[in-house]
Amino acid sequence: MPSIHLASFGLHTTLGRGIDANVAALERPPQPPREVSVPLGNDARSIPYYTLADAPLDDIEARFEQALHGVIVEAIERAGLSQTERREMGLFLGSSCGDMPLLETQYRRDLESSSEALPMTKTSSLGNLANRLRAAFGIQGPDYSYYTACTASANALLAAAAMVQAGRLRHALVVGVEMFNAVTALGFSGLQLITRDVMRPFDRRRSGLVPGEACAAVVIGTEARDSNWTLLGGANLCDTHSISATNPDGSAIAAVIQQALERSEVEAGEIAALKMHGTASLLNDEAEAAGLRRVFSKAPAVCALKPYLGHTFGACGVAELALFCSAVERGMLPGTPGIAAGDSDLDVTLNQTLRAQPPGKFMLNYFGFGGSNTSLIVANDGARSR
Amino acid sequence: MKPIYIASCGDYFERIESDDSAVDLKALVAEAIGTPVRRIGRFIQLALIGAGRCAKQAALPEDAAVYLGSGRGDLEVTIEVMHSIVRDGRAPKPLSFINTVSNAASFYVAQSLKLTSQSTFVCNRYFAFETMLQLAKLDLEQGVVTSALVGTVDVVVPPLAAHRMRLGLDADTPVADASHWLLLQTQPSSTPLGRLLAAGHFTDAKALRVWLSDQTIDAQWKLATGQFMPRAEADEWQRALGLEVFDYLTGRPYYDSQSGAAIGEFLRREKGTLLHLNRDPSGRYQAMLVAVES
Repeated sequence: MPSIHLASFGLHTTLGRGIDANVAALERPPQPPREVSVPLGNDARSIPYYTLADAPLDDIEARFEQALHGVIVEAIERAGLSQTERREMGLFLGSSCGDMPLLETQYRRDLESSSEALPMTKTSSLGNLANRLRAAFGIQGPDYSYYTACTASANALLAAAAMVQAGRLRHALVVGVEMFNAVTALGFSGLQLITRDVMRPFDRRRSGLVPGEACAAVVIGTEARDSNWTLLGGANLCDTHSISATNPDGSAIAAVIQQALERSEVEAGEIAALKMHGTASLLNDEAEAAGLRRVFSKAPAVCALKPYLGHTFGACGVAELALFCSAVERGMLPGTPGIAAGDSDLDVTLNQTLRAQPPGKFMLNYFGFGGSNTSLIVANDGARSR
Repeated sequence: MKPIYIASCGDYFERIESDDSAVDLKALVAEAIGTPVRRIGRFIQLALIGAGRCAKQAALPEDAAVYLGSGRGDLEVTIEVMHSIVRDGRAPKPLSFINTVSNAASFYVAQSLKLTSQSTFVCNRYFAFETMLQLAKLDLEQGVVTSALVGTVDVVVPPLAAHRMRLGLDADTPVADASHWLLLQTQPSSTPLGRLLAAGHFTDAKALRVWLSDQTIDAQWKLATGQFMPRAEADEWQRALGLEVFDYLTGRPYYDSQSGAAIGEFLRREKGTLLHLNRDPSGRYQAMLVAVES
């Protein structure tokens, strides 16, 4: 089977626009979120949110398309794809929100004209976003819009890799998108899962999550091109313990991690560092910590990126992969100063400072609503350093 | 390449005649999966009915993976939370919000049928069923899974006038709730209904023709064309290929993933080989090829 190369990334988050800006921001400690006014009927609620850098919330529709197009252009240009390669590649989208920001905005605007207005009359398919992107970028390959909550874009990547590895596609564009919307903000607020503080996964002072915006893209193929990253494998399994939480005993998480290791032909002891899902909710933290204990006799270095990005839900699969790989490619493992610094109630100590990280094999874990658990394993051969 | 067998199929299909004529699905859910499920919407109920009926027709191993697709997603719950937040100024109820994650339906299928493998929800506007078939076929061929429960769900959300507007349909177009499922296996435990020979995507008509030229087409083959292929083009393919037509669309009320009905209808009514072609407005094609032993 041919290797799957992660040819290039594009990234826009609260840390910055572009890969370089995002990696540079890891040199500062995580910053607290800002309060955002979330429309609720004719009123509004103030909810903490990590919104995109350099993209004010004043025109929801324009910024949605601009941010998404920006990361795709960044990834495609870095990959150096020809027009023919672009036309034939597959599009794999992963999201939780899909078009929701646009749907809310249109409905709100229609209600201003008529109290009889109905939602979703202009677009009503979760597949339309992929079709717009295909049209904009001239893609005639197949499209798959994954909506598996927080694992969506990670699962999209696994499916894309399978298609490329089997020779069905030469290249695939995998996109994660999560943009500001009232349903997500008010939904998590209603579940009392949102904090006004920095997210503190695995830390006894944890107080919840902060929604975050992210647009991220990765181009994959069987040719190395300018990349020294490969996707060794991964796994996705459904944990039917509960629709909103994985089994706290860690058994389901251990199972998906174990399957990812087996499919990647990697031993647990070979993992040089691990990116945790780390939502800073007690249920997730407990399950994740328990799952790792079941698999790793000696824990590798572990880090968490949500203190920097917020929880970018369906986008976090590709967004955190892009940030993690780009940091490691520059020889650095991200750190979160003062968070789970050695006094964790779950015996998990996160890497504290941005420290040197040699090339190696790495694991990235994602767990979501709907019982969707995903584990990815990537490798950096260190051949190139940006 | 591992052969892929169709072990069973299960369907639900109900024309919705008026704003308040939708069937109460609770009893059908309980009948299909053997136990009632509370506090779920119609989209999830439809998924459970179709998947449950399919699962009852064959031995379903616990490591069967779930591949659920849809052309739109769960319109009902999405519209409910939009009304609540934007029109009524009320935050969504926790359970409604949790069920806005589109994989809620695939979760309930896995939970109700006691499955432990992967459970996926993917949306594709024009090729919902074909897309799921492709993903499942690839995982089966590569040995990632050995059994795959593959299906699509479409839900009607009254009032019907608004539903037709959302779907871009004429005011008098009949509409239906639907749920179509197949159980695919590489090693069936009993006599299979048929074999899935191909499920492919083509960037344009030329690419489809190249693939067709590699197939050994004979008189046993029948041709079905999907709902999104214009009538004139369907006739052209029929003339070019010289195949007898298998019609499963005439009289069928509208829903997005009618392709999901094609294989099940063929398995029930025909023998031989079914070639199903569909295209979307951007000129992309999908082909499904299924054989039923004579």
